[in-house]
Parts: sequence; structure tokens; C-alpha cells
Amino acid sequence: MKKSKKLLWMLLSALVVLVLAACGGDDDSATDSGTKGDSGGSTDSNAREVIIGGLWDLTGGTSDVGAPFAEGAEAYVGYINSKGIEGLNIKLIGKDYGYVIPEAQKLYQEHRDKAGVQAIIGFGTGDTEALRQQVAADEFPFVSGSLSENLKDTKESPYNFLVAASYSDQGRALLKWIKDNHEGGEPTVALLYNDTAFGRSPVEDMKAYAKEIGVKVVDEQVIDVKATEAQSQLLNMEKKNPDYAIIQQTWAATSTILRDAKTLEIDTQFMGLNWTTGEGLFDNVDAATAEGYMGVLINSMPGDDVPGMAEIEEYVTGKGKKMEDINQKFVQGWVTAKIMVEGIKKAAELYPDGDIKGAQIREGMESLTDLDLGGVAANVSYSADNHAGTKEIRIGVVKDGKWEAITDYISFED
Amino acid sequence: MTFFLQMLSNGIVVGSIYGLVALGFVLIYRASGALNLANGEFVLFGPYICLVLLTSYNVPFYIAIIITLIVSAILGLVVERLVIRPLQHAPAISVIMATLGLASLLAGAIHMIWGHGTKIFPPVFPQTPLKFGGVIVTPVYLWSFVIVMVLLVVFTVFFKYSKMGLAMRAVADDQGAAQSVGMSVKFVYAVTWSIAAMVAAVGGVLLGNISGVSPIMATIGLTVLPVVILGGLDSVAGAIIGGFLIGIVQNIAGGYLDPLVGGGLKEVVPFIIVLLILMIKPHGLFGSKGIERV
Amino acid sequence: MRNLFVRESGNYKTSYVNDMKLFGTVSQKVKIAVIVGVLLLVPLFTSNYWIGLLTLCAISAIGAIGLNILTGFTGQISIGVGAFLGVGGYTSAIITSTYGLSFWISLPLAGLITAIVGGIFGLPALRLKGLYLAIATLAAQVIILFIISRWTSVTGGTSGMVLSRPSIGSFTFMSNTSYYYLAIVILLLTVLYATNLLRTRVGRAFLAVRDRDIAAQIMGINLFKYKVLAFAVSSFFVGIAGALLAHYTMIVSPELYSTTVSIEYLAMILIGGLGSVFGSIIGAVFITLLPVSLGMAIDMVTVYFPDLYHLLSAFKEFAFGLVIILFLIFEPGGLAHIWLNIKKYFKLWPFSY
Repeated sequence: MKKSKKLLWMLLSALVVLVLAACGGDDDSATDSGTKGDSGGSTDSNAREVIIGGLWDLTGGTSDVGAPFAEGAEAYVGYINSKGIEGLNIKLIGKDYGYVIPEAQKLYQEHRDKAGVQAIIGFGTGDTEALRQQVAADEFPFVSGSLSENLKDTKESPYNFLVAASYSDQGRALLKWIKDNHEGGEPTVALLYNDTAFGRSPVEDMKAYAKEIGVKVVDEQVIDVKATEAQSQLLNMEKKNPDYAIIQQTWAATSTILRDAKTLEIDTQFMGLNWTTGEGLFDNVDAATAEGYMGVLINSMPGDDVPGMAEIEEYVTGKGKKMEDINQKFVQGWVTAKIMVEGIKKAAELYPDGDIKGAQIREGMESLTDLDLGGVAANVSYSADNHAGTKEIRIGVVKDGKWEAITDYISFED
Repeated sequence: MTFFLQMLSNGIVVGSIYGLVALGFVLIYRASGALNLANGEFVLFGPYICLVLLTSYNVPFYIAIIITLIVSAILGLVVERLVIRPLQHAPAISVIMATLGLASLLAGAIHMIWGHGTKIFPPVFPQTPLKFGGVIVTPVYLWSFVIVMVLLVVFTVFFKYSKMGLAMRAVADDQGAAQSVGMSVKFVYAVTWSIAAMVAAVGGVLLGNISGVSPIMATIGLTVLPVVILGGLDSVAGAIIGGFLIGIVQNIAGGYLDPLVGGGLKEVVPFIIVLLILMIKPHGLFGSKGIERV
Repeated sequence: MRNLFVRESGNYKTSYVNDMKLFGTVSQKVKIAVIVGVLLLVPLFTSNYWIGLLTLCAISAIGAIGLNILTGFTGQISIGVGAFLGVGGYTSAIITSTYGLSFWISLPLAGLITAIVGGIFGLPALRLKGLYLAIATLAAQVIILFIISRWTSVTGGTSGMVLSRPSIGSFTFMSNTSYYYLAIVILLLTVLYATNLLRTRVGRAFLAVRDRDIAAQIMGINLFKYKVLAFAVSSFFVGIAGALLAHYTMIVSPELYSTTVSIEYLAMILIGGLGSVFGSIIGAVFITLLPVSLGMAIDMVTVYFPDLYHLLSAFKEFAFGLVIILFLIFEPGGLAHIWLNIKKYFKLWPFSY
């Protein structure tokens, strides 16, 4: 037993040394170590430094979309630094919390207290909602991959910004499209979502709007975000025979739904919100099953012929990769980071002297009007009482294993 | 009526997969008295190996399955030797915690090697659903049902008549006595864990065929616990019948009660059932009552 | 005054009261005073970041002590801690946000209500033992979370509820340091209670139930009463921890109280040492800081190998499992046992053999 005691002692002492080293490294910034891309800034000694903290899901339940999102955001900061910004030195420190909210809590504290960030790019609805009180108290602007409707509420979440149409607005746009394009009487719709804050976010708003414009919501089904089969729920839905079914899930559950629907030969037209669309859907279902599935595209697909895609292509090929290596969620991350950086640049203009703090970045973001994103996403505008950004989306359809946009940027208010 | 039959058939076939995974739990408990909460990761490991063989090396399916079984057996052996053997005399909670740690370790290892994305199986089973008079069943599910029934028969015969099966039961009953009549307890444990790992791998390959191989599959380890408890921790038949029962109740409750509660019953119902059954039968439906000596 | 480092050599206690005293010798009193002093003065020397981490450790320690009362003292395995943390957090949220009462009322109420819920879910303990009981508590975890997510009118459903920091008069506990003091004070009270629990009749009944419950019953200990009481007392502290955590992060939502959290707390008491109050605290600190230190280690390595970041993130999970297994194999008594060994070594030096 002596040998194993020695081993245990060595392990323990190694751990103690680690913790002490971490304590010691407290005051010097361990800033760059978390990121992958090159986020070193300009060498201008007069440049003011702004550090953004990133909270990514690289290893958790939504990592299939979280990892490319993180990549895209870090890529954008690397790109903008390689071009250099006048008088500004922007750093992005990204950390993985694996969709475990208590970890996000700890990493947020690390960002705030150790790295000295002034703004946060988050990812999931879970962490965004969990931290919104704290970022308001600490005055850090927070953009994220979450597009939950209650983040628009400037009283409850005064420092949160939405970078694309909220889930509710996406749902409303889809319902409007249904109303405008359905032939033959009143269209009937079913809502398929999961039992989390993310899943339930748009449901009530969609039901209310459907009532307003004369679309009948005949059924709602809850399908777990990790479900491997959904036959009982789909059969229940089939009893009500809806013309359309709107899905609020991520790729995994969406593919389960499409697969089971094909098996059970349900002939409803399936449509989905933004996390159901994108190339990742085809990892789980073959092109034939997904054919005809429609969904919300808040960003362009890589390789789309829009002016904003040029800079992405420049960066990606400059790193020795091809456009086929990235996907739509990369583009979403890229755009998210871009909007925040634009806000920082505006803040630098409004406050030419002194440190740029979170409150000033918020002002900078609120002064963004019709920010041109080159067609890669809908243009965003913010103001002191509007953090919604935009209500516009595009609707796409799956044809031959690829996503094709069938509308331009529209909103339900058009 | 078709609705009810479809729910029923769905419950049976889904339940057959539950039964497979539950079998892994029961085998280990029966021979070594430990609850292996890392079974979910055993289920996860097999299909990844199978997938790599099928896609990267283009091995035909039957050979890939055999190699997967062998690799899983080795995994079971390694786990038993390194983790369970040292904890032979530890209290139950330590072993449970160790398997939880093992689950984390295996999950981490799998993530490190294969990442987090979902990978689809190349279609090995025919894809077109079969119809039995209005009730639709996919061939994969049918295969899993058949495999589970075959395994039920095989294991019941194994435990009753074969030398190894009897040895396993003896070791589970009284380790000391078994050793004193000359059985190698170490060997029995090793065999138990490898068989359990192999069964889990089969379940994993089937599950992977249905919904793609991804780390999310490991959660079936926890979902199947109600099945194991319902059937009784040490009953092979109980595990499989429990699997069917839970599968059927899940689907019927989901089918009929979901609209009332706003959905999501499928995940909770197994646990409610377990709680209720445990109140009436504290050792599960078919579990043997332990005798406690003071 | 006697030499402070005098230790007792031999047992000269002549009365029962003397034997059971917590602070018999002067050195013990001084030791406790020093520890409490250090704890209270820590914020003056460390950065905000570490104060925040230590607050989280303290809150986890309160929960871990609660769980240890149930699993370590009474031998009832429970995998339902996460849900009870949730009950505590939500109760406090409802009382402060919906009904507008003060935090100082909602904190004990949160504990009480969680104790009642815990007692109810402890009822199966009468019939079930060991693994079956563990699964029943797991069922409790899943069912409670389900109820929380469905009872939208009261709990806000899956979007959770928003809370605010507590305040006394005009002073709000907004800063890290102020909340740290709050958590430490409650932790000290909890430690005092738990250590005293073992000296009372109830505590001894718990230990008897753990060792051989049938024998205890024969001796006249009402199993039903004491098992349910164990669940209730344990849940009281877990509820308080949940309420503290909820007010610290200012948010409650069902996703925060998953099965993963329950497993983490179990790991805390097992690695810290079952049945030891000190062990719960060390275990809580260890498990809370383990991801943090692993993250720092990964950060250091990533500087040299940037492409391995994804690989190393999964390594955290691997390392967590590995640490648990190593502890269970090599030191089943946990960190508390290691600490006792260290003390013994110094006590007996240079005669240790």
C-alpha cells in the first residue's frame, strides 16, 4: 500500500502546486491563453484595449452548433485585428462551459474579476438568461447566440442585445408567410418544441400572433431536446391533421422529428426556426428525408453570393482552409462578433479619451443604426429603448441536400 | 384503435432497446453486487468502434460487429481489473460513486478521441418501414426486438444450466463459499463484466442505427435505471419485461396524457412508475428479497 | 497561562460533560479563534475573483454538510440533492420576488419548506434500502424538476425567475466581499450545528441507523421517525444553500439543478470523507475548485499547443472522473482521513511509525 500512498501524495502535491501557480498568476493577465485565433492587436502604444469575454459551448449538449459559432466569433476578431483598428486593441478570450450553467457562472466571474473584460459574447439561452442580472449590475453589454424574446426587455435585461430576429419574431414571420402562401381556407399549424427556456421561448407569442392574423394553432407537442424518437408525439399531432408544423429545436431533435415523420408517412409541411436550419441537419438525416423542409435563415450560407461573404472568404482562405470547411453557424458567430466590435468602435468615437468601459460600449451599440452587414445577415439598428436589432429573416427550403433561400430579408411587419 | 396499436408496438420495440441496456446492469449486479452507472458509456463506446470500422476501413458489417464485441469485452475486462477489483470490499456507495467517476472518465475519453458531433451509421438495415395492418414499424426496431428475445432465452438458459452461469450465481450468493469450493472469483468477475460490456455494445449499435451515434446516447444509462429497478436488480427476465413495460407505459402515457399536462411526460413517467412500484414491491417486480442478518 | 501547544496525553476526563465538550483545552479554543479570524480576514488579502470563488465554495460546503448528514451520518444514499437545491432557490425566489418579503424571512422559510419536501420524499426510505433508495431519490429529483418546469404560474416555468441581492436597511449585499461574509457566517453556524448534532440523542440515533438499522430498531429507535428526520434536517441545509446560491447569482431556472449537480455533491462528500463535517467542507472546496484549476492548467498548456483546445476541454471531464476513481481506490476515507493522517504524523513526530 506504500507505493500507492506515494502516488497519491505526488498527485495531491501536483494539484496544490497547480492551484498555487494559479494564485500566483493572478495579477498578470493570462489573457490570450483561452483562444485559438490570433487576437493580438495592433502595436500602436496609444491604442486603447478592450477585452471581450466569450462563453462557448464546445463540449456540451449543443456543441454541434456551439463549436462553429465560437470559431466564427474568434475568427472575426482575428480578422479585424489583422486589418488593425485605429486606436483600438480588441481581444477576445473564449472559454468553454459545456452548457453547464454553474460553470458559466464561474467562468463569468473569471472573465470579470481576472481578465477584466468589458463585454461578453455568450452562446446559449441558459447562460444568457442566467447571467443577465449580473451583467446588468456589472454593466457589461452581452450579445449571444440566444434570441429569446425576453432579452428585448430593457427593464429586465438592460445590457442584453439581440443580433438577429428573436425566436418570437421568427415564428411570427413564418406564420405570416403561411397565411400569405397557403391555398385553400384557414391554414392549421402545430408547434413542436422542447421543454427548456429555449424551446418554450416563442410559443406563447406565436400563438397570440396566429390568433391575430387568422391562422389556427391546432396542436402543441413537447419533444425532448435529446429525443431519439418522437413517434407518440407525432402521431398525436397527426390526429389533428395540421397543414404545417413549426419546430423550435436544435439539429438533433429536428432530425429525429423529420425521420419519424417520414417513417409514419405524415404529410405535414415542416418548418423550423433558426437553430433547426443549416448544414448540420444533414449529419443526421439523409437528403431525401429532409427534402422540402423549410426554415428560417438568419445568416447566409458560406459561399452565398453576397458582398459580406467576401471578407469571410478572405479570412478563411488566408488560413489555408476552404469555404466548405465552415458552416452557417460559423457565419452566425462571425456576425455576432462583428456587431459587438462595431459597437465598440462607435463607443471609441463617442468617447475619444480614457478607458472604454462596458457602459460606454452599450451606448456605442445603442447608436448603431442600420448597420450594413453586407447581406450576410439582416441589418441591425439599436437605440436606448430598443435592443432587438432587427425583425427580418429569410426563409429557405432544402433542395437536393442544400439550403436555398426562397425569400429576401422580410419581417412579419411587411 | 390504430393509434393505440401504434403506441403499443412503438412501446414494445423501444422497450426492447431499454431491455438490452438494462440487461447490462442486471448482469453486473447479479454477479458482483455493484450498480454500474457507467453502462451508458459502455453503450456509447461500441457504436463508435463499429462506425470507425465500417466507414474508415470498409469492413463488412458482420465482421465489424464481431470486432466491436471483442473490443467491448476487452473494455469490460480492463474496467473490472482497474476499477472494480480494488473496490471489492468497499461499501455500496463507494462502488456507485466509482462507476459515476468511470462514466465521466469514459465520456471524456470518447469526447477526446471522437469529438462531440453526431455521426450517422451507413444504412445496414433496410430503411423502408414495414406495415402490419396500419401499424408501422421500422426494420431496425424489429431486429432489436428479435435480438432481445433471443438474448432473454440465451441468458436464462445460461444462468440455469451452464457451468459459467452457475458459477456466477454462486459467486453472487456467497463469495467466500464459492471460493472455498474452488471457483476463481476473479475469473467470474472478469467474464461478467466482459459479457455485460458486449451486451451494452449490441444495444449501442442498434440505438446508433436508429438515431445516429452521438454523446447524447449515453444518457440512456440514467433513463434505463427505472427499468432496472422496476424489474428487480438481479432478474434477467425482470430487466427485459421491465423494459417492455416502461416502453409501453411511456408511449401510452405520452400518447394519451401529454395533451393534458402540456407535454414532456415521456421522461418523467418511468420515474413515477418506479416510485409507485417500489412502494408496493420494494425489490422490484421480480427481484429477490435480500435477507438481512443483524 | 499554560503552553499553547500542550496536547492532552492520556484521558483524564472525570465527567460526561467534560468528555463531550467541544472546546475543552485552551489550545482548542485558540485554534478555533484563529481559523475563524483567518476566514473573516481573507477578503483583505485576496482578489475579487478568489473571494467570489470562495463564496461559491462556502455555499457548496453548506449543501455538502446537509448531504453528509443524510448519507454520512444516517447512511441513506440520496441522488436528489440538485432538486432540493432547486426547491430552496425557488422558494426564496417566490417569497422575495412574488410576495415581496425580505430575504431574512425567506432564507429560513426556504430551509423549512425544503425540509418538508425532503421529509415527504424521505418516506420511501422506510421501505427501501441501499440502491433502491438511491433510485427513489433520483426519481424525486426528476419529478421535482418536472413540477418546477410545469407549474408556470408560480415558478415562471422554464424561463426561471429573477432575484435580487439581500439588503439590511440601506446596505445591499452587492459586492463579492459582502456576500462572502454572509456565506461564511451561515457556514460557521451550519458547522456548529452539525458538529453538535453528533453529540445529541438524535445524532447518535442517526449513527445507529447507519450502522445497523434493524439492530437500532430492536434497541428502541423509531426507524421511521429518525429516517424522515434525517431527510428533513439534511434538506433544510440544502435548501438554505440553494437559497443563498439563488440570491448570489440572482436567477433560478430548472436547468441549474440537474442530475449533474447531484452527482457533484455526492462526489464532494465522498472525496471529502463520509460522515465528517470537516470532510464535507474540504470536499466542497476541492470539487468546486477542480474545474477551475484544470482550466488554468489547460490554459497554460494551450499557449504551447493552441490546436489542442478542444481536446483539452474534454480532458476536464476525463480528469474529474479519474480523480474520483483514484480517491476511491487509494483513500476511501477521503481528504478528511488524509488530513487526520497528517495531524497524527505531526502529533507523533518524531516517533511516528
